Amino acid sequence: MTITFRNIHKAFGPKKVLQGVSFTVRDGECFFIVGASGVGKSVLIKHLVGLLRPDDGDIFLDDTEVSRLTEREFYEVRKKCAMVFQSSTLFDSMTCEQNVALPLRKHMGLTMKDALTEARERLSQVHMSHFATAYPAEIGDGMRKRVAIARALTLKPSYVLFDEPTTSLDPVSARRTDVMIRELCDQFGVTSIVVSHDLVSIFGIADRIAMLYQGNVRLLGTREDFKNTDDPVVRQFMSGEAEGPMQV
Amino acid sequence: MTEAAAQTLDAATDEPPLPKRSALTDMLGELADLWRVTLDTLFYTFNHKREKGAVITQCYAIGNRSLFFMVVTMGFIGAIVVYQIGIQTARIIPDMSLVGATYVKLLIRDLAASVGAMPLATRVGAGIAAEIGSMVVTEQTDALRMSAADPVDYLVVPRFLASVLMGTSILLIGGAVAYFAGMLICNLSFDVNPYVYMNFSMVTSGDCILGFIKCLVYGGTIALVSSQRGLRTFGGSEGVGRATTEAVVGSLFAIITLNLIMSTIGNFLLPA
Repeated sequence: MTITFRNIHKAFGPKKVLQGVSFTVRDGECFFIVGASGVGKSVLIKHLVGLLRPDDGDIFLDDTEVSRLTEREFYEVRKKCAMVFQSSTLFDSMTCEQNVALPLRKHMGLTMKDALTEARERLSQVHMSHFATAYPAEIGDGMRKRVAIARALTLKPSYVLFDEPTTSLDPVSARRTDVMIRELCDQFGVTSIVVSHDLVSIFGIADRIAMLYQGNVRLLGTREDFKNTDDPVVRQFMSGEAEGPMQV
Repeated sequence: MTEAAAQTLDAATDEPPLPKRSALTDMLGELADLWRVTLDTLFYTFNHKREKGAVITQCYAIGNRSLFFMVVTMGFIGAIVVYQIGIQTARIIPDMSLVGATYVKLLIRDLAASVGAMPLATRVGAGIAAEIGSMVVTEQTDALRMSAADPVDYLVVPRFLASVLMGTSILLIGGAVAYFAGMLICNLSFDVNPYVYMNFSMVTSGDCILGFIKCLVYGGTIALVSSQRGLRTFGGSEGVGRATTEAVVGSLFAIITLNLIMSTIGNFLLPA
């Protein structure tokens, strides 16, 4: 039960975003991908669920090579590998409960009634049951994020990809999200890959961290490895200093 | 601001640049993508169950909300066309008895569908492209794919069906409005009796069939071209604006091209 990226290359026109990225995420791990804006962190995790296709390289999920699957074949991958997007990506025309019910109806083939019952249960787990019939436009950013997390977890996935889950959240909501991600790993054995800039999250809950820099992995290690590194680029990123060797 | 800080801000707002390709390659790529969207749309139209209320909602957005605009536009177009026909007819043969008969034939065979489809494309095409484009740039279409819902099935098909249904209805209504607006102008400007104007003797069943087919095809084309542009949106709000413009331009271009093709084929199969 591992995820392996092997020599992943991806370019958008002349801009080479990923240039041979390779690493393995272990089972049940809370794995963080960090790096400067535009370095390709979100691009990388979207490859795992087929939202983007690599120009070259292989991606293994549970020892199955997934990067060349068809869109329909990816449905099975997406059942066990959910994604929480950077913005909440709730559908404006649906209520919160209908949003959460959608994957149940499409992936599992549940009827609308059964899916809504299940969706309300999922919403109560993220303390959003009072807003089940509200439309996304009627609730705040943090609440939308919680509904999006409920939607991602509704199929009880083995893997969850979080794309900057604490962005736009207040500090309390951000830390609650961290706790929830950590609980997913510890209590339910879910493997989480988190793309983040949030240093409090990174040093609070990460098992291992990979820093992307100039299209490749600059450093892969534990929190201690990152705290003790001598690499000036990594040190600059972790300290958030404006001046330094880091080129973006 | 330091150089490093400026670099960071540049990177944060940096979008992946477009690949440099020739105009021909771009156009062929667009046509191939449009063809793929068309095939997928037809596949899902006949093979999947619709979301409850999805087509009705789109019918309201495409039909009801376009009706007033189309009625006013086609009314003015009908009045202008008949006025110009009347002026030119008066110069050659000052006999207005066949103005209504020739105009209604022209209207049924071509004008109601082809001219009416243009304002319809601006109203409906822009709306479809903007709506789908916004969903693409906010990753909602990616979220749909994660939920095992194909964006073509979920977003394009209801708009396609609604556009075919309501587009056809509105074009027929617009044609009728243009006809009666012409009758009014004919009576006021050239003193043609409405009974003389309402002469359908030149209209054949072939004219009606060809006109109806054009309405159906234009309705579907507007939805397909605009949806394809919407699905190809990239680059935030600027991209949505670009997609909207391209949807309108693409729809108009498609309507004109299809009109030429259908009129040519129609002249052989359903002679005027």
